[in-house]
Amino acid sequence: MPVWLRESSWRQTLTAVYLELPLRGARATPANIFCGEQYLKVSIPPFLFEAILYAPIDDTNSTAKIENGNIFFTLYKKEPAIWDSLTLANADKEKLQHLRENAVLKAHEKAKEETEAKKITKQEHKKYALEATMKLEEAERKRIEDLKEKERQKVAKELELWKKQQKDADKYESIQKKRELHQEIKPLKERKNEKMNKTRIPNEGTSKTKLKSTKGCHGSSSMFSQNLKEEQLPAPRSAATIKVNFTPRVFPTALRESRVAEEEEWLHKQAEARRVINSDLSELEDLKEEEKNPDWLKDKGNKMFAMGNYLGAVNAYNLAVRLNNKLPLLYLNRAACHLKLRNLHKAIEDSSKALELLTPPVPDNENARVKAHVRRGTAFCQLELYTEGLQDYEAALKINPKNKNIEEDAEKIRHLIQGTMQSS
Amino acid sequence: MSVGAGLERPQVVSHVQQGLSYTVFDCKWVPRSARLLCLGSAARGTGLIQLYELHGARLELLREIEKPKPIKCGTFGATSLQQRYLATGDFDGNLNIWNLEAPEIPVYSVKGHKEIINSIDGVGGLGIGEGAPEIVTGSRDGTVKVWDPRQKDTPVANMEPVQGESKRDCWTVAFGNAYNQEERVVCAGYDNGDIKLFDLKTMSLRWETNIKNGVCSVEFDRKDINMNKLVATSLEGKFHVFDLRTQHPTKGFASVSEKAQKSTIWQVRHLPQNRDIFMTSGGSGSLHLWKYEYPAQRSKKDSEGSEMGVAGSVNLLQNVTLSTQPISSLDWSPDKKGLCVCGAFDQTVRVLIVTKLNKI
Repeated sequence: MPVWLRESSWRQTLTAVYLELPLRGARATPANIFCGEQYLKVSIPPFLFEAILYAPIDDTNSTAKIENGNIFFTLYKKEPAIWDSLTLANADKEKLQHLRENAVLKAHEKAKEETEAKKITKQEHKKYALEATMKLEEAERKRIEDLKEKERQKVAKELELWKKQQKDADKYESIQKKRELHQEIKPLKERKNEKMNKTRIPNEGTSKTKLKSTKGCHGSSSMFSQNLKEEQLPAPRSAATIKVNFTPRVFPTALRESRVAEEEEWLHKQAEARRVINSDLSELEDLKEEEKNPDWLKDKGNKMFAMGNYLGAVNAYNLAVRLNNKLPLLYLNRAACHLKLRNLHKAIEDSSKALELLTPPVPDNENARVKAHVRRGTAFCQLELYTEGLQDYEAALKINPKNKNIEEDAEKIRHLIQGTMQSS
Repeated sequence: MSVGAGLERPQVVSHVQQGLSYTVFDCKWVPRSARLLCLGSAARGTGLIQLYELHGARLELLREIEKPKPIKCGTFGATSLQQRYLATGDFDGNLNIWNLEAPEIPVYSVKGHKEIINSIDGVGGLGIGEGAPEIVTGSRDGTVKVWDPRQKDTPVANMEPVQGESKRDCWTVAFGNAYNQEERVVCAGYDNGDIKLFDLKTMSLRWETNIKNGVCSVEFDRKDINMNKLVATSLEGKFHVFDLRTQHPTKGFASVSEKAQKSTIWQVRHLPQNRDIFMTSGGSGSLHLWKYEYPAQRSKKDSEGSEMGVAGSVNLLQNVTLSTQPISSLDWSPDKKGLCVCGAFDQTVRVLIVTKLNKI
């Protein structure tokens, strides 16, 4: 229950009401005061002051001053009149409630209107600011463009100037050259005569000099002019070859084409698989050293498969798998054996396991994946699950589209499926 | 970019743009002139050499020469300034040297390779450097061959894969270290990321490394000095700058690498007038202008006391996007600083001027 503040004192003039409210020590802030058109409330928990005013007031212009533990209200009346009392005397509860609600509603609406008006002005301000900045930027841009234009023109002028200089220089040079040529020919002729005389006398000398010049230049026009030039240039090199090696790459694809991450993963997996030895020591003690090596066992299995000893091959692969269950090739080969032994379900299992281990799909394990798909497909077909078989064959074709056998087999299966569908 | 007092960074100004009716693979300035050459392949499968002259704001076609095979690359590097013969490599593996005044019959011709010649470079001509004029060609058949125009039919050096080794395409070649009559070095970049440095004086492999991505272009900062820097660009937007002054016995040369953009960097070309500035052209049609800063000390001693190089840093001076197609060829004019021509796969050749290079 709130504590009602009743010790208010008030006085009035024709146009205003002055209300003084002592607060009994409580501190007030503007938030605690609520004023409507005909309703005034001050709520500072646990204190409460409420008044339904005698007549409406102009609440926008009225003021409240918080000072010294009192609030001084200056309320401007809407209609200048003398009030009989501050509050409405004959106010019953309902009317009070009604008035209160109205006041609150009105306050809300006012607040809403105010915020909307604020919004609109804000937007307008923004628009204006935007336009102003755009103008500034345009001006900036234009300035830069102008500067650039100036540069361009300046540079074009310089170029023209330089060109002219070039032309003049060229002309000058050609004139010079002509003059020089004229001058050179005379002494050249003299020297030529001299040389001719020299070469006739010592025979050995001639052959040597001849050899020298022919070694130096093939297809030369005149021995004489070449001699002059060669005084400045060294002879061509003696031919030689340098052999080069190129940096080896694990995968011959350029960096941007390689799926390096996947390939790394695959290599990593392979390397790890080799290292894994999940062994059951007690059983393996009576095995020979070689028989503990999964690779050796795999080879054994392969040989037995080639000879037709499928059961033996399966045994070899089984042991290898017990030693290291991460090598996909073991499962792959075992699947082939099972196919031959017509253990179709086991063949399917093994091919599936092999495919699982052959992720991520990289060009390196393409062949293995093709084989796995083909074997699994064959097993499905022999179990008369033709649709599954076809799926596997198509997967194999996707990896290696050029294999004719797979294509033909896939065709056959399709025909079979269509045949069974028609008949059933 | 500080826009304070005018534009302070070097600007790449596009001066002339010329549309062509064929695919241009290489463009080169004719030394000591305002003329440029475009080499390429016409739609009907023949090779084209076009000679243009720069007149004001446009290019005037002076001459067009058609050859039976498309032409991939060309260089003036091995001719004298008076002769200015063009050496070209074509799609069939033929190396030809043409006198542009009389282009019907080549001055020198040899079927140097079994497959397309991807890149060509020349040294010893144009009054630059010393020593015999030589041309090096790199081809898709995995070999790099050095030719002397005075020797017919056989190369003077042949860098080929060991017997039985699978070959890798050679994508780019460059000469360097030609500071006296004997010394010379050829650098070759391959499609698997190998960069190999061959010393022609000792006829041996001096250094090799692998930068993981195919090497599109290599260039020494100067051909005619003691080898200083080498820039190698590759696929996937990376390029490496190697400091070649100090070779460590195991670690080789120090390098700094920079990733300029996501697309291939097709070409790198150093400014002839300033060997620390170079431009790279990219697969997204953009050009980037870079400056190399040397470190405080170019070499230091490692833990065993052997010298190893210290790489500097590379700063981007400017970049500009000119086209939507890759800019496959780029050439600075040796006569006017900042003038360059570039050819792109959108069948246009553009003449550009880079300003403010004096202030760098």
